[in-house]
Amino acid sequence: MLKKSLSRNLVTNNLISKKFAFTLLTTSMLSLGLTACLPNEKQDAKVVINKNPYPSTYQVLPAESTLLTNATILTGTGKRLNDADILLVNGKIVQVGNDLSAEQATVIDMKGKWITPGIIDVHSHLGVYPNPQVESHSDGNEMTSPNTSEVWAEHSVWPQDPAFQAARAGGITSLQILPGSANLFGGRGVTLRNVPSETMQGMKFADAPYGLKMACGENPKRVYGSQKVLPSTRMGNVAGYRSAWLAATEYKRAWDKYDSDYSAGENPEAPKRDLALDTLMGVLDGEILIHNHCYKAEEMAVMIDLGNEFNYHSGTFHHAIEGYKIADLLAANGNCAAMWPDWWGFKMEAFDMVEENVAIVDAVKNSCAVVHSDSATTIQRLNQEAAKVMFRANENGFALKEEDAIKWITANAAKSLGINDKVGSLEAGKNADVVVWNMSPFSVYAQAEQVFIDGAKVYDRFDDKYQAKSDFLLGQQLNNHVNKAVSNSATK
Amino acid sequence: MKNTQLLTSLRYALFGALAVTTSQVNAESIAITNATVYTVAKQGILSQATVLVEDGKITALYSKGEVPESLNADTVIDAKGRILTPGFIASGNLLGLVEVGAVSATRDSSDKEADETFDASLAFNPKSTLIAYARKGGITSSLVTPYGGEKVFTGQSFVVNLSGDFDSVIAGQNAVIVSLGSNSKGSRATKLQTLSNKLEDAQKALAKAEKAKTSNKKGKEEKEAKIPSRSEQVMNDLLSGDKPLIAYADRATDILFLLKLKQQFNLNLVLAGASDAVLVSDEIAKANVTVMMSAIDNLPGSFDSLHNSLINVAKLTKAGVKVIISNSGESHNINQLRFDAGVAIANGLEKTSALAAVTANVADSFNLNSGRIAVGKNADLVLWSSDPFEISTKVDAMWINGQAMSLKSRQDALRERYTTTTDMPRAYTK
Repeated sequence: MLKKSLSRNLVTNNLISKKFAFTLLTTSMLSLGLTACLPNEKQDAKVVINKNPYPSTYQVLPAESTLLTNATILTGTGKRLNDADILLVNGKIVQVGNDLSAEQATVIDMKGKWITPGIIDVHSHLGVYPNPQVESHSDGNEMTSPNTSEVWAEHSVWPQDPAFQAARAGGITSLQILPGSANLFGGRGVTLRNVPSETMQGMKFADAPYGLKMACGENPKRVYGSQKVLPSTRMGNVAGYRSAWLAATEYKRAWDKYDSDYSAGENPEAPKRDLALDTLMGVLDGEILIHNHCYKAEEMAVMIDLGNEFNYHSGTFHHAIEGYKIADLLAANGNCAAMWPDWWGFKMEAFDMVEENVAIVDAVKNSCAVVHSDSATTIQRLNQEAAKVMFRANENGFALKEEDAIKWITANAAKSLGINDKVGSLEAGKNADVVVWNMSPFSVYAQAEQVFIDGAKVYDRFDDKYQAKSDFLLGQQLNNHVNKAVSNSATK
Repeated sequence: MKNTQLLTSLRYALFGALAVTTSQVNAESIAITNATVYTVAKQGILSQATVLVEDGKITALYSKGEVPESLNADTVIDAKGRILTPGFIASGNLLGLVEVGAVSATRDSSDKEADETFDASLAFNPKSTLIAYARKGGITSSLVTPYGGEKVFTGQSFVVNLSGDFDSVIAGQNAVIVSLGSNSKGSRATKLQTLSNKLEDAQKALAKAEKAKTSNKKGKEEKEAKIPSRSEQVMNDLLSGDKPLIAYADRATDILFLLKLKQQFNLNLVLAGASDAVLVSDEIAKANVTVMMSAIDNLPGSFDSLHNSLINVAKLTKAGVKVIISNSGESHNINQLRFDAGVAIANGLEKTSALAAVTANVADSFNLNSGRIAVGKNADLVLWSSDPFEISTKVDAMWINGQAMSLKSRQDALRERYTTTTDMPRAYTK
């Protein structure tokens, strides 16, 4: 069964690369033959923008059908099941419930353990700001222009960042890698499966939409203001966004016209490609999701209007320290807000932190509250980050339960990334991304014991076989001395 | 007793408004009864125990059955079995020196000119909004370590309590800080040499002065004997062991060099950072050197820290090293110290060792009269709703020098404003 699905994936990948080659060929032919375009002239091959030129080559790790039994299961849909079972077959969740049985499945008794969906971090810089934090690896912020929509974080990802392994030991199964926040438009983010791979493509979450990183507030105006380039103020920030969206609107109009003229049988000249505008047009087409670094209430409100002005959705507000001040507005407009439980004070725009921010944003109907890390350290304990919010909020009038709070790092995070049809909850048909914890993940002593991605075990705390190690750390701790027994036998 | 205090406070009042807010004013006696007391001392954990506090000090500790029938205390607090620990002591941060990280005008933690004489305690702000927030994590005092300038010596540390009072600085200039290790602008060797040479020069100067004192007759020579400069005096304090040397260093070679210096100059050495300490744990234990480190930095952040791991605190403690758990990062979230210690416990550290790592070990290494629940110690105490390290637990009550502290911070005021129902703009909710 496994082999079948593997070969099917390979076939699909071949098809994609063939299609890609064809597009390249026709584009070059076209550019050679461009002269005039008369209505009744024979049509040139249509110019099509390849939207997936660096496709995922991710393969599910070796897996077997698994039935995990007798655990406390938090489904990510707001439910908690006691003494419950979950069946993973062919990379999917087949069933979640009590007293399940399955033929030909490996049954593992998880009595006393807790099971949650795989943890998802919507805001990470692993691989683009990796460890060791050396200049040669500092690839997360293209600080050369306030609009670098043309750059893609995936082209900076160093898959050997040891932090990927550390995050996996903390139950992270999917994560979005974003460019930094120096620019108004920082470039595209990419969603990865947290599996070891030699290539970025080997980690890439197939069919996950791209993200576009935008940034409000202090960072862009500080970086460019000091270079005497717009923006040096918050009003400069907004002017910068608006100019870019104006250009993107025109670019989209040109491509839409090209498409409709071509469909009408004409032979129009294709608009000139622009990598930055490709990305912005992707947002206007609803294919690329906005991920907006934005701390302050008044700025988020402006960004929501900006989206309405240019007819795109303002997406997820990241960091959103002041989300609690406009919780109603965020929910009414369908924005997710990705927040820390308690980081604050490192900047003026992070001064108004409250520990209940996530809970206050979450309490509004149709809300989408997310707990994110933005850190190679706390990504390893996103469960505890959520726990801090839950307990502090409950000390102050909330009545949140584990089955509610787990959503902030699973289902809501998946929604923010546009992958909630595939991951983020333990439901039949979803990808089998599962974490087994030694106790309630809301304890400071909690540890992920086993982690599954698409039904395959990718981490086991007690089995070295399932503990991956980065190339970088391999061989760093070798003993320089040949041990005596060996050297003796060598001289004999 | 009370009259004396009143007189004292009146006397202070004559000196001006500053004295009125000092913490010595209140001398109320408190008995905390029926507590599970984590003494972090020989008695270990005492259940149903009573702690008596007078004049800001712990004056009695009664275990179950020893409690006298009538307790002569102004206030009696029934702990109802809850856990009472010494107040946690944060370390290695910039508390009270930085209000907003990126607002340079609120940063007093460093200075280009800073050297071994840099006394950042003069800049400490007891009214910083960070202090009330830190108390919510059970922190009652902190060892603040400014990071000076670009020189090998980055200044001197100081100790504060978190009362928010103007007299919060308990010990100014209590240790000298050096920052060693990898250096993007030159070789690490230069700083090691500078440190070594300075100590050697100071030792020679002292010997010379001593010789001059003993071999010369009274008169002219003595008059001419040089008064040590402020910098020299700092070196002398290190050589006499009066001041600990806090050395930030990660790589094992740097740590071993420091251990050698300790032996050569009889230094009172505390290692900070110390990522590679696990490689030389036996040597550190043998030299009786304290290690101040993060419990959660487990990534190879640099080529000096390839051995970072969540199990390092437990490993070092098992090897007999006295470990202080410090927060990583600056100081806005030092109230997380208890969770960092919790992570260390989850990774093999005994709970009692974890508690010592944020209380007694700091006090012992920096000569503070706190960090334990024992007679004569400062009454810096925390009453917890449950296990101090657990996320579900909160601080129920806190005393600093025997005074009950507020557990509200600016964050609470903001939350209350935005969770209160009103038909007026929020600005009217105060």
